[in-house]
Amino acid sequence: MDQGAAPPGIMVTTLGKVANWARTRSMWPATFGLACCAIEMMATGTAHYDLARFGMEVFRASPRQADLMIVAGRVSQKMAPVLRNVYDQMPEPKWVISMGACASTGGMFNNYALVQGVDQIVPVDVYVPGCPPGPQSLIHGILTLQNKIMSGEITR
Amino acid sequence: MGMINNLRRGFAVTLRVMRRTVFGDGLLTTEYPKESRQKPERFHGRHVLNRHPDGIEKCIGCELCAGACPARCIYVRGADNPIDEPVSPGERYGFVYDINMLRCIFCGLCVEACPTEAITMTHLFEMSVTNRDDAIYTKNELLVNPEGIPNHMFTPEQDPMVNLDELKDADGWMRATAPSGRAAYEGIPGWSASAGIGLRPPERGQAGAEVEEDDDD
Amino acid sequence: MADLVKITVDGRQIEVPHGELVIRAAQDHGVYIPRFCWHPRMREVGMCRMCLVEIETPRGTILTTACTTTAAEGMVVHTASDTAKKAQEGILEFLLINHPLDCPVCDKGGECPLQDQTMAFGPGESRFVEEKRHYEKPIPISDLVFLDRERCILCARCTRFADEIAGDPLIEFKDRGNHTSVETFPDLPFSSYFSGNTVQICPVGALTASAYRFKARPWDLLVVESSCSHCTVGCRISVESSQNHVLRFNGVDNGATNQGWLSDKCRFGFEFIGSEQRLRTPLVKVEGEFREASWAEALDVVADRLGAIIEEQGGDAVGGIGGARSTNEDAYAFGKFMRTVVGSNHLDARLDDGLDARFLAAVSPRAKIADLDRAATILVWAPDLKEESGSLYLRVRHAVQERGAKLVVVHPRRTGLDDRATHKLTYRPGEGPALLGELAGGAGDYAKVLETLSLGPVVAVVGRTGLTEQPQLAEEVAAFALSLPDAKVLPFARRSNVFGALDMGVAPTLLPGRAAAGDSEATGHLEAVWGPIPTQAGRDTMGILQGLVDGDLKALVLLGADPVRDVPAAGIARRGMESAEFVVAIDLFLTDSSELADVVFPAEAFGEKEGTITNLEGRVQKVNRVVTGPGQSQADWTILDDISRRLGKPLGFASAEAISKEIADVAPPYGGISWELLEWDAKEGAVVPYGEAGQPVAYRPDGVDREALAAMSRNPESGAFALHLARTLYDDGVLMRNSLSLHALAPGGAVHLHPADAARLGVSEGSLVEVETVDASVRLPAVIDPSLATGVVYVPFNQPGIPSLGSDLSVVVAAGEEVSA
Repeated sequence: MDQGAAPPGIMVTTLGKVANWARTRSMWPATFGLACCAIEMMATGTAHYDLARFGMEVFRASPRQADLMIVAGRVSQKMAPVLRNVYDQMPEPKWVISMGACASTGGMFNNYALVQGVDQIVPVDVYVPGCPPGPQSLIHGILTLQNKIMSGEITR
Repeated sequence: MGMINNLRRGFAVTLRVMRRTVFGDGLLTTEYPKESRQKPERFHGRHVLNRHPDGIEKCIGCELCAGACPARCIYVRGADNPIDEPVSPGERYGFVYDINMLRCIFCGLCVEACPTEAITMTHLFEMSVTNRDDAIYTKNELLVNPEGIPNHMFTPEQDPMVNLDELKDADGWMRATAPSGRAAYEGIPGWSASAGIGLRPPERGQAGAEVEEDDDD
Repeated sequence: MADLVKITVDGRQIEVPHGELVIRAAQDHGVYIPRFCWHPRMREVGMCRMCLVEIETPRGTILTTACTTTAAEGMVVHTASDTAKKAQEGILEFLLINHPLDCPVCDKGGECPLQDQTMAFGPGESRFVEEKRHYEKPIPISDLVFLDRERCILCARCTRFADEIAGDPLIEFKDRGNHTSVETFPDLPFSSYFSGNTVQICPVGALTASAYRFKARPWDLLVVESSCSHCTVGCRISVESSQNHVLRFNGVDNGATNQGWLSDKCRFGFEFIGSEQRLRTPLVKVEGEFREASWAEALDVVADRLGAIIEEQGGDAVGGIGGARSTNEDAYAFGKFMRTVVGSNHLDARLDDGLDARFLAAVSPRAKIADLDRAATILVWAPDLKEESGSLYLRVRHAVQERGAKLVVVHPRRTGLDDRATHKLTYRPGEGPALLGELAGGAGDYAKVLETLSLGPVVAVVGRTGLTEQPQLAEEVAAFALSLPDAKVLPFARRSNVFGALDMGVAPTLLPGRAAAGDSEATGHLEAVWGPIPTQAGRDTMGILQGLVDGDLKALVLLGADPVRDVPAAGIARRGMESAEFVVAIDLFLTDSSELADVVFPAEAFGEKEGTITNLEGRVQKVNRVVTGPGQSQADWTILDDISRRLGKPLGFASAEAISKEIADVAPPYGGISWELLEWDAKEGAVVPYGEAGQPVAYRPDGVDREALAAMSRNPESGAFALHLARTLYDDGVLMRNSLSLHALAPGGAVHLHPADAARLGVSEGSLVEVETVDASVRLPAVIDPSLATGVVYVPFNQPGIPSLGSDLSVVVAAGEEVSA
């Protein structure tokens, strides 16, 4: 994080790489299917696309055992505190993917009932455009997140 | 005994499916980043702004796409076409053309609304970004280059995920209601195959149209 | 009203006035007959044939145009019978033969009557497959209007408007048959002050505005109705914006004011709102240089320095100029600020109009604009209305041309109304009182004029014809006019909301609600809400500026005022501002005046704030917010409220609407006027005094005293010329200067001379003439102007790059040296 400080030693960088690699290979998503995007998210977990290839097949119903939240669908104002609650319960390090137009910006539902972008509630790491994004789009988002994690520091 | 029967029946289903998948040539796991599943022909993917075969832009900046957009994700501004170096045919051209891909719902109404077939949709779907500003595609990214290939938001240096080769397969399909969607054009691909060089004869009013028109008549 | 007759439209019996056009009668009863050429505010011609309907006659049904047929007893009209429909479809197919379908690039696309009516009444398909007619497109027919002849459907709305309504017949049809097209005359652009109206009434995209060209499409415009504040008529307009930029104004048909028309200054004078030059942060002058400052910092500086001056020298040492460009709410806040927070009576909204505040605010009986339509005779002794208030000019013109009123125009020079005037009197500036005396006497040539004027009812539009004229003359003219039968006076001053500001008490002699300062009852009523107010006599604008020069006043508060540019005696204004110890300006731009201020606050402009304005007849209308102000700009009242807080005497305003409620409480003529009323029930505006309320001061000028008038007359010094200094529609005012497409149209400096004078001086058209006044000496090209009296020079006021000549009557004119080629 501290880019201005002296460069970290070989030991730390190597350890960081290993830790990051480990993290990318075992992201456990918390179930947060809210609407149609969730169908595509489920499809991503099926054999045809096989999320298990990334060690992500376990969608956890308990936030304490998850480190990735895929917000799949439009977030209503009433759901917003629940979503934040779930996010707060997840252990660090944790990441958020905003899947689809509604979660990212409200999409075509530009009205008072919906949160206009889930990043107003939780910090979002990757935005996946689409309505809904297909399984491959979501996997692309996951790969983007893996890249992001790999290029980051372990102290998060 | 009953339990064994149940197991047998369950695994029978599994084996039947495996015969079709693992041992047959049916549905198998698509190992996505390595291989990609063929998208349906009319898949609604990322937009492109097309050019006429002579390289001039098709977009005339009329804002009909923006008006049709239910998500209000398109921002267009027209301007007077410079007479010496026209950007598009006619008086007006699209001076600003932005699409917020995060708001877009890929419904294709913009394509329906476009009177010049300037905006079409491709099979490109890899648009995930880590910064929401990057999801706003400007005219620079949307417009195909003279070879008919769209630009990417990032260079490979900026984003290791970028596969520029994919862009060459960015088919811009035509809408059914466009003039080119008439029965006479059935079977003829849109003006570009893989958004490349035009296969279809230029339309009336386009450069080189004279000769082709005679053929039609 | 005429007798009612029964007619049957589409099987429904309706009662309409006898002689009403069928198209209007049907529309009033909910049957829309398609039309292109017919416009409710213009004469009918039956040009486009779109309104064909079937009418039953004794000899069977006939097809005829609904816009040229008048309703008669027992008439049976079918607007949607098979025959009528076939005729309408045929006409539309015919109109579309040569109409290019370039709707996607056409500025009218989306709000185009041809599009709409083709969808509603058209055949859906054309049999025409041949090549359409082609013309070069588009051609600029003036600096503001483009003409695309391909799109024209020859409805003649524009040519009829230019001829009948505006009186500038500069466009006409050329050629015949298929080749007919609208054209300007050779070497003569369509330089009408009303050209923009043709763009609005064009039923296709043949005429488009250069300012709006390809800027937006109708469906992404945010449209809000408001009232124009370029002159005192308060024309109703729709302010249309997209992406927080105001892109155009359109006229809204308000029967009481503009009836849908706008002058080009109003229509295209919106560019200043989005100007890059707008102030965005408060500025504080440190060692002669402006520095951007935070609000808190700028307010502290004002509180320190203005507070110190008030503390040491009393509020009497502070003057306030401005308020005429603001809303009533802002002006009220300004008046309250000056009188209660500062404790000074030195405040004025009039910059230079010179007319007495009580005359402008409370002359009685006061005419309404609509009275022009009922007048038998109209007396215009005022500035050239065409130059200063386009909409009022159109109303007078309409009254004379269509309603048969007689018109008497008195002006030192030709005016736009001369061609419709029964009598036109020209006089030398300064000799107006003598002329008035002779006119009132009715001797000789004036007998006929007086005879015309004795046809009542008379409406007199009274203002100051030029900036060198005696300010008292207008009151004498009003006194004379009121001696005529059944006469009413419409006082005329130009500066946007000056009447509203005066009603809000922004004048030394007035309190809010047109009450006289010093009137004990009104003062008591006001002090119950405001607390104590100062009682000493106040100074007007010139008094304040002179006081600053003399050192009697130390500080100045400017509210949207630019005295250095707008006061004719610019020298005093500049010296006054320079000798002031402390000047705080609230402005949109860094003007010549706010450049001299110590602290400048950025204010919100028209279209960025809500409020009300009052027009010259006392009509209160709502102005609305469409876009947000740039940067950190704020509404005037907010800024004044903030300053008052720092000075320890908070005005305590919560919102502009709260101020409007306080106005209704404090000012009896405004009692009962609320924003809800103006937005819902009184869409055409509410005239003050509203409802039962009376006029606290009914100012009625005294009768005409010929001797006093003779004494008032002035002549220039011997050998000198009399200067006629008058405003033009486009000038170098701060709003025009920042509306670039209009600023370019300012006529520029010129010296107009009578041919005899020109010959005597040896000056020909275009040669340079040296003009010398007390204030300045300039060299300008000469224009030969036979409409002037001999011994008069006319110089347009406030032109780009021309120094102010001052308001002195005498001017020395000599042939300047020829510039060697």
